[in-house]
Amino acid sequence: MASEDTSPSHSHHRDSIKSSVGNTAANRRRQQAISIGKERREALIRAKRLCRDSIFDDDNNEKGLDEGEMVIDEEQSVLNARTAQTVQELKSSLSYQGKDATQKTIEALRALRKLLSKSEVPPIEAAIQGGAVPLLVQCLSFGSADEQLLEAAWCVTNIAAGGPEDTKSLLPALPLLIAHLGEKSSGHVAEQCAWALGNVAGEDMELRSILFAQGALLPLTRLMLSNRESTARTAAWALSNLIKGPDPKAANELIRIEAITDTIVKHLKTADEELVTEVAWVVVYLSALSDKAISILVRSDVVPVLVNWLVGSESLQLLIPVLRSLGNLVAADAYITHSVLIVGNNITDQVLYGLIKCLKSEHRVLKKEALWVLSNIAAGTLEHKTLIFSSEAVPLLIDLLSAAPFEIRKEAAYTLGNICVGPTKGSDNKSDIIVTHLVPLVKGGCLPGFVNLVRSADLESARVGLIFLELVMRGYPNGEGPKLVEREDGIDAMERFQFHENQEMRNMANALVDKYFGADYGV
Amino acid sequence: MDSMDSSVASPDLGLELGFPFWVASRRRFKPDDPFFASGNLERELLAKHVALDLTEDERFQLQRMEIADANLFCPIAGCGARLEYLEEFEDHYNTRHMASCSVCFRVYPTSRLLSIHISEVHDSFFQAKVARGFPMYECLVEGCGAKLKSYKSRQRHLIDKHRFPSNFEFYKKAHPSKHQRQKLQRKAYKGGDAKDQESFMDLDAKKESKQTRPKHYRPKQEVKSGTERESEMEVETKLHHPQTTETKVVTNSEAKNEKAKAETEMEVEERIEDIVSGISKLSTVDASSPSSVSFGHRHSRGFAFVPRSVRNQNQISKREQTRKP
Repeated sequence: MASEDTSPSHSHHRDSIKSSVGNTAANRRRQQAISIGKERREALIRAKRLCRDSIFDDDNNEKGLDEGEMVIDEEQSVLNARTAQTVQELKSSLSYQGKDATQKTIEALRALRKLLSKSEVPPIEAAIQGGAVPLLVQCLSFGSADEQLLEAAWCVTNIAAGGPEDTKSLLPALPLLIAHLGEKSSGHVAEQCAWALGNVAGEDMELRSILFAQGALLPLTRLMLSNRESTARTAAWALSNLIKGPDPKAANELIRIEAITDTIVKHLKTADEELVTEVAWVVVYLSALSDKAISILVRSDVVPVLVNWLVGSESLQLLIPVLRSLGNLVAADAYITHSVLIVGNNITDQVLYGLIKCLKSEHRVLKKEALWVLSNIAAGTLEHKTLIFSSEAVPLLIDLLSAAPFEIRKEAAYTLGNICVGPTKGSDNKSDIIVTHLVPLVKGGCLPGFVNLVRSADLESARVGLIFLELVMRGYPNGEGPKLVEREDGIDAMERFQFHENQEMRNMANALVDKYFGADYGV
Repeated sequence: MDSMDSSVASPDLGLELGFPFWVASRRRFKPDDPFFASGNLERELLAKHVALDLTEDERFQLQRMEIADANLFCPIAGCGARLEYLEEFEDHYNTRHMASCSVCFRVYPTSRLLSIHISEVHDSFFQAKVARGFPMYECLVEGCGAKLKSYKSRQRHLIDKHRFPSNFEFYKKAHPSKHQRQKLQRKAYKGGDAKDQESFMDLDAKKESKQTRPKHYRPKQEVKSGTERESEMEVETKLHHPQTTETKVVTNSEAKNEKAKAETEMEVEERIEDIVSGISKLSTVDASSPSSVSFGHRHSRGFAFVPRSVRNQNQISKREQTRKP
């Protein structure tokens, strides 16, 4: 807030006072926003999308200032009052029997829609409390004019972008929205309804279940085939919200739809990155939830197309679902590493290239999830381990192990460890240690990073660190392991666990210290 | 996530359950796993039509909040301090769990354990009371209040009453390497010149090659006979232990000689100022209480300060003397 200067001689001070008053409301909201950050984050995770602009350009609504401007300085109470009033107008126009009834209704709807789309904080509660929902349901009835359907669906879209209570109040509207997805509907109407449904589905599992039971899956999927790119995109997004689970039933149902894989491939091959992004998210959830989908996808063209995007795209928004889809597929099914990403095939080199690109990225998410994928590939055949070991990934891995935030360090640790441990077990029933990888990695300076992990307060990280140290002490040639570990203060790190509250950690650490740094040490 | 597999019990590691050796296996996450949370958040932030308009500031804060969300508590038994973020742990540990003994540089996670250590290891008064049959060995669990007559019986008390694991060793043997490390660090702090350090290290090397170990080492988990136990009593910090009661446990002369030798050499290492002189008298002790009870680990990662006691050994001897009854 601008400080208030009592001296009137400088006009700019007066201006600043004026502007501070003008911005008070916005600033206050801003402050509020920061302090309720957690709620907002949860709102984000609910994956709603407010519809602020018309979904098509050639609308016959008034263009110009009226369309474009946002109602920023409106006080919330004023906004609420206007909303209540507008709802009343809608109500009266619906009961009006005269010849302009439809036009009046459309105008009232439009006014409501503008309030719900132009305000910085849409007056959703006011609309609901004013009784808007049953009126909107009425407006959505079959046979209504397209424009009416459109405006009504738009209002519902934005109400559904609200909180849990707001969204749940829309239950009566759902079957109608689903119905208007049908192929007989106007394209714009169908798209707007898809948007509304996407918001509803984004709310929680319960609503997703209801929508699924009411049969939203099939029409949305059909809509995804639309020639209109914005419709296909919106439908894909809504679909991803519908199947995201955690209940896998919608995902399992989706993969059973005839030609869904072909549709997905077709869309992934377009140049429209936004469409590719949304469809990739559909693949994310299919691959995360449905084993049947995984089995089909790994044998399809989806994988090579995803790999192409991984290599070729620079867009964070696109790379996240592409990377994660591949990650889910690699994690779930050995088929990929063994039959698709065979060492020697071009696609394998491409994947590695793409993953390394993500490791070099500045984005935490890309680094972390790429490491996860890499660690799973490194859990494959000996050839895979050697491939990664000989690539430029290794110095990156060691660097990330040492310097990155802990969750990234952990993933780097898994990758490096998997590179050093073979897929086969020896006669002692312990996995074979690949000494030709272990020695250079240790020489390359990975030990301090692992010792550091042992020191972590995060149990899993500490565990991973300890288990790697055991590898080094057992498998490093000429019995040099213990000395190397000691040099990095490994004993110190392990002895901390004497007082760790976790029994397994205490046992593990004590066992290692006893075995490798007992009385015989140094003789 | 089961990349680590609890495999076959390894006899040489002596655990019932077996050490979970590294197994390279794929890890899979459910879609709502926290692992994916940051990616999900990013998706919504990048989407053009977020329901809430965010400023750059708010976006940044949200992302930071999401990392901080992990419920973190200090894993040191009995502490439970809330950590706001993981990186804080190191500082927290250094502040709260590094109660260090100025005599032998061992480090304990609480000041209470430190003071128990000091009594049991560096206090001749304590040993005297023990010898006279007073129950001096405190239970390690805060609030229990039990006092036991011997190290062993306290150990048993911990296992029986407080369900400590049977392999929990309050008394941990130090390894000669730690002595070396510490010595070097102290030297570095002292600011000794390079030449000093070199000669110091040479001495180390010489010492190391000459060092022998008690021949009767056994893994701790086994029940030990008196003799074995005695020979295990490594002479770590006999530094300033004044004479206490003689023990009746007899070791074979060879072990004794070796031990004496090892003791001597350890002693020598400890002294910074005077490498050759001042070998304090050592005593073999009763099997039931180790002459130097020393749990906890040595603080080897550098000192915040160098205790005066380190810089001048004489002062310590003096201090020890004042503690005599």
